[in-house]
Amino acid sequence: MTRYLLRRAPSALIVLWLASVLIFLVIRAIPGDAAAAMAGPDASEEAIAAIRHDLGLDLPVFTQYLHWLGGLLSGDLGRSYLIGGDIAGLVGEGFANTLTLTLAALVIAVLVALLLGPIWAATTNRWVDRVLTGFHTAAVALPPFVTGVVLIIVFGVFFRLLPTGGVPPKGMFDRLDITAQYLVLPAVCLALPVAGVLTGFLAETLRGELRQDYVTTVRAAGVKRREIVVRHAMRGALPVAITTLGLQTGALLGGAVLVESIFSWPGLGLLVEQGITRRDYPVVQVLLMLSVTVFVLVQLLTDVIHAYLDPRVRLGAQT
Amino acid sequence: MTATLEAPEPVEVAVPDRPRHFLRGKGLVGLVLVGLVIVTGLLGPLLVSWDPYEQIPGANLLGPSGTHLLGTDDLNRDILARLVTGIRVDLLIAFTAVPVGALVGCAVGALATVNSVLDVAVQRLFDVLLAFPQLILAIGLAAVIGPGTTSVVIVIVCVEIPVFGRLLRAAVLRVREAQFVTASEVIGAGKAHVLRHHVLPNSLEPILVQLALSLSVAVFIEGAMSVLGIGVSPPHPSIGSVLTTSLRYLDLNPLFAIGPLAVTAVLVLGFQLIAQAANAARGA
Repeated sequence: MTRYLLRRAPSALIVLWLASVLIFLVIRAIPGDAAAAMAGPDASEEAIAAIRHDLGLDLPVFTQYLHWLGGLLSGDLGRSYLIGGDIAGLVGEGFANTLTLTLAALVIAVLVALLLGPIWAATTNRWVDRVLTGFHTAAVALPPFVTGVVLIIVFGVFFRLLPTGGVPPKGMFDRLDITAQYLVLPAVCLALPVAGVLTGFLAETLRGELRQDYVTTVRAAGVKRREIVVRHAMRGALPVAITTLGLQTGALLGGAVLVESIFSWPGLGLLVEQGITRRDYPVVQVLLMLSVTVFVLVQLLTDVIHAYLDPRVRLGAQT
Repeated sequence: MTATLEAPEPVEVAVPDRPRHFLRGKGLVGLVLVGLVIVTGLLGPLLVSWDPYEQIPGANLLGPSGTHLLGTDDLNRDILARLVTGIRVDLLIAFTAVPVGALVGCAVGALATVNSVLDVAVQRLFDVLLAFPQLILAIGLAAVIGPGTTSVVIVIVCVEIPVFGRLLRAAVLRVREAQFVTASEVIGAGKAHVLRHHVLPNSLEPILVQLALSLSVAVFIEGAMSVLGIGVSPPHPSIGSVLTTSLRYLDLNPLFAIGPLAVTAVLVLGFQLIAQAANAARGA
């Protein structure tokens, strides 16, 4: 296991390093002088120069990159130009909210897939199949900003059952039942595409498993169809499902930005949006790097779990 | 002089009847859905008498009525007029950006297979580009080039390049191992000949499927960038920008959002169904 991780880690690190160079250069290429923007329109040349020196913007680009990278690695994320304050503080706060939202969505997606995937694979009823096919297509295709707005209109405006957005007025941890009310719509909205993809893959892999010879054998021995799906076929299908889940991290990260914007959920997505509209590039830079890091690490983790569950991957890696 | 020709015996062809298979079920539904939106986009602006940019005095945030079928927006403009013009903008973006991204991606993917050093470099570059979730990449690029229609197009092109590059590279590697390619190389076919006559025809089907998927992604990206405030910039309409404006007035006039929601859903679902049907027809 460790050996597999050691073999896969370098290429992940190279991707992360290249991404950091790319992000740094791209953000640096944005026209406009950050120091002048910060100092305001009436600032004197000396004031602007002082701010520039203060931010380290007068150093050569290469040195600036090394400072930034060194800061990232040691946990110093730098300072925000405009929103104000330490980026680590801003990011920490948003990260907790985004994590809550994403984990809730992940739980919903996995539960839906674990429920619907086996049903879809095993069903012989034409209507069940049609309904699930429809759910799968719609869930995979419809963007979060469509499902999100529909959810808001139905549950928030029409039936007035749930809040249309925002966070609990007294904070996330004051009363969990109220937090759940604020969380459910954005989480469902974020979960839908992932649930759709996961259900589809799980059902397809299960169908493949059900065609295997061993299933015929077990079936001949008198084991019920449902039990075969749950006890036997699932074991073969799980590694594929986990890999699929790992590949959906990107959809979750991108989706979270959209969902947070639609439901005014104060997470990293809202912070990115603010950073861009206010041209607060150090914040955008850190958030881009953070999302790439999460994405790459989750994929690495997925590969490792896959290798753990499926010896063929692990053993194939050693030859 | 007359000569009667015997009608030739019908020849049994082993090739599956792909177009007909494609046109059954999902494929047909998808084509109809996308066709509906395209026709609306083409004819709509001619049928709606309002100008999408005109600010009508006294018509602030009106609900749906006979004169304004979907109502008016916060700047007194007819929503239906803006929506149908917005469809044009979206279709223009999607049908420009996706083919360009596909062409560049395929070209880069094909070029990379010629030289192994180049291949490694291109693969790493694609890895890095694909390490950014689509929307995060969109945000990063929009931060640099600023919001606007051009930046939506550039984002879609950048998202599609590695997708098509990977696809074509995989196809090249697969076909290159095939016996008939070895055979044609034995009789002296060059790399360019193999690429043109063997690889491209054999990789056309997955590329067509991906094109349909990518068109749906393009509509998604346009809408998403509008929602995030980095899309098509005002006063120009797009499906996404009409939807974004409606978000602020969901309490007041939920019907404001129905138009852009329906169009986005129909378009995205349509492309997705076409892709699914095309994919299924490949295996037929």
